[in-house]
Amino acid sequence: MTENIIELQNVDTIYEGEKIPAIHNINLKVRYGEFITIIGPNGAGKTTLLETINGLIPYTSGTGHVFGKEIKKHKMDIRKNIGYVIQNFDIDPLAPFLCKDIVMTGRAGKIGLFRFATKRDWELVRHNMDIVGMKGFAERPIGKLSGGEFQKILLARALSQEPKLLLLDEPFSNLDLSARRKMEKLLTKIHDEKNITIVMVSHDLNFIPQRCSRVVVLDKGRIIMDDRRENILTSDMITTIFHKEESRV
Amino acid sequence: MIELPLAILITSVLGSILAGFVCSTMGVFVVRMNLSSIGYCMSHAAFAGAAFGLMISFDPLLSAILFSFGTALILGPLAEKARLESNVVIGFLFSIMIALAFIFLNFIPGQAASGTALRILWGNIFSVGYNDLILLGILSATLIMFITVFYKEILSIMFHRKLADATGINTKAFYFAVLFFTGFAVSLSLRLVGGLLVFALIVNPTSTAYQFFYDFKKIIISSPLIGIGSCLIGFWLSMAANFPIGASIVVVSAIVFAISVAVSPKRKKKRKKDVKIN
Ligand SMILES: Nc1ncnc2c1ncn2[C@@H]1O[C@H](COP(=O)(O)OP(=O)(O)O)[C@@H](O)[C@H]1O
Ligand SMILES: [Mg+2]
Repeated sequence: MTENIIELQNVDTIYEGEKIPAIHNINLKVRYGEFITIIGPNGAGKTTLLETINGLIPYTSGTGHVFGKEIKKHKMDIRKNIGYVIQNFDIDPLAPFLCKDIVMTGRAGKIGLFRFATKRDWELVRHNMDIVGMKGFAERPIGKLSGGEFQKILLARALSQEPKLLLLDEPFSNLDLSARRKMEKLLTKIHDEKNITIVMVSHDLNFIPQRCSRVVVLDKGRIIMDDRRENILTSDMITTIFHKEESRV
Repeated sequence: MIELPLAILITSVLGSILAGFVCSTMGVFVVRMNLSSIGYCMSHAAFAGAAFGLMISFDPLLSAILFSFGTALILGPLAEKARLESNVVIGFLFSIMIALAFIFLNFIPGQAASGTALRILWGNIFSVGYNDLILLGILSATLIMFITVFYKEILSIMFHRKLADATGINTKAFYFAVLFFTGFAVSLSLRLVGGLLVFALIVNPTSTAYQFFYDFKKIIISSPLIGIGSCLIGFWLSMAANFPIGASIVVVSAIVFAISVAVSPKRKKKRKKDVKIN
């Protein structure tokens, strides 16, 4: 096994029915234990990149490995150890699910077919709801949460999977400034205590967690920079990309 | 009130209970997985299939199942990818199935043609036979086992299919299992409720259950109970007032649904909140 948890070589991903690849010529190596942020304007291909890593969207050329295993061939297997917090989506306010059950669904794949959740599984659920600060919410309907609370439940869900790799798609998008700070602290704590590799996606240049040492910049489906956080934040290129983005909006 | 021999009464009551159970259990899946239009299409395909069977003197149940499975096989992959053309194909198949059903009905041989035709159109409690009861019983037991054994996978898929996929669940297998169980449920209930109305028995009880609970467990238990209740009351109503059985079951389930929307605690809270905001 290599020391890289993720290895993508010359990867292109084209959506079915499209001609132009959503991500193109991606070369990305992530070491075990790293905490990296992928930034880029809307439509840059960040979500596509994350879903290429966990095999939800098959890449169309190049090679990709996670945990040293070829992604397409072993996708069912590797997914059991990848926690995915999906980009914010609207949940039906009347959705018939309690928070604790949603957190438990994170473990469904790992527990495996024909097996039932045990006491230990429920303990993990409770433990992870505690960690994200949603202790009292076990019996609450999932549709009745604020955006930030929902985000935290989705994070607890991914953590209850006991993943080796955590993929976070815009985890700060629905949070106000103080909630963002708390979320950052939380991610730092998770990174410290659980020895999880974190790959986070953000379209907001101003919010890259302190803990994150490496930043990858994605624009129009290509990686245009991959460097230490300080170097990225002070580069000229970044301001032009994101300045363009802001003036367009 | 129509007087029935005991044996027929028992068969009819059991038939109502089992059909109510299988349809409104599948409803929980169909409603939450947005399979309403595909299920609607499948139940009309089952109707056309039954008519086809009667026309060529083939087992109408088997041909109903074959037709609805065929529809599931065509529509399933399209709807799964949420392709734009899936709505077009659904509309196309739906109208074609109804048209075919009426053509087949027209050509059912023999003197009893119009009676038979009306029976699968409106449903008829007396056409529920011993075989139907056995098959409905087997399907009910299978569904209970399916839900018990795969409860955590089902819950995960119902919440968010992509996230379920991302944790290593084979959601495609479950998706098609749900479609095929729905095909069985509508085909087996066709004789009781009738081809035009069977889908209402899938949707109404479940939609009623969704008005009351936030806990999926409670929904998966209460939806079949509401379905069974609607079928039994509908059965009684059809005996008492000499209504067609299918229509009275559907009317009962629709009234129950309407009342539940009016008294729904879920909606009430929401309304209050809306007022506050305004
Ligand atoms: N399901 C899809 N089918 C076709 N094109 C898509 C699909 N999803 C995203 N795209 C396209 O791929 C590009 C990258 O999208 P995405 O990865 O969602 O960007 P980001 O997450 O950075 O905002 C965009 O141009 C988008 O329009
Ligand atoms: Mg995105």
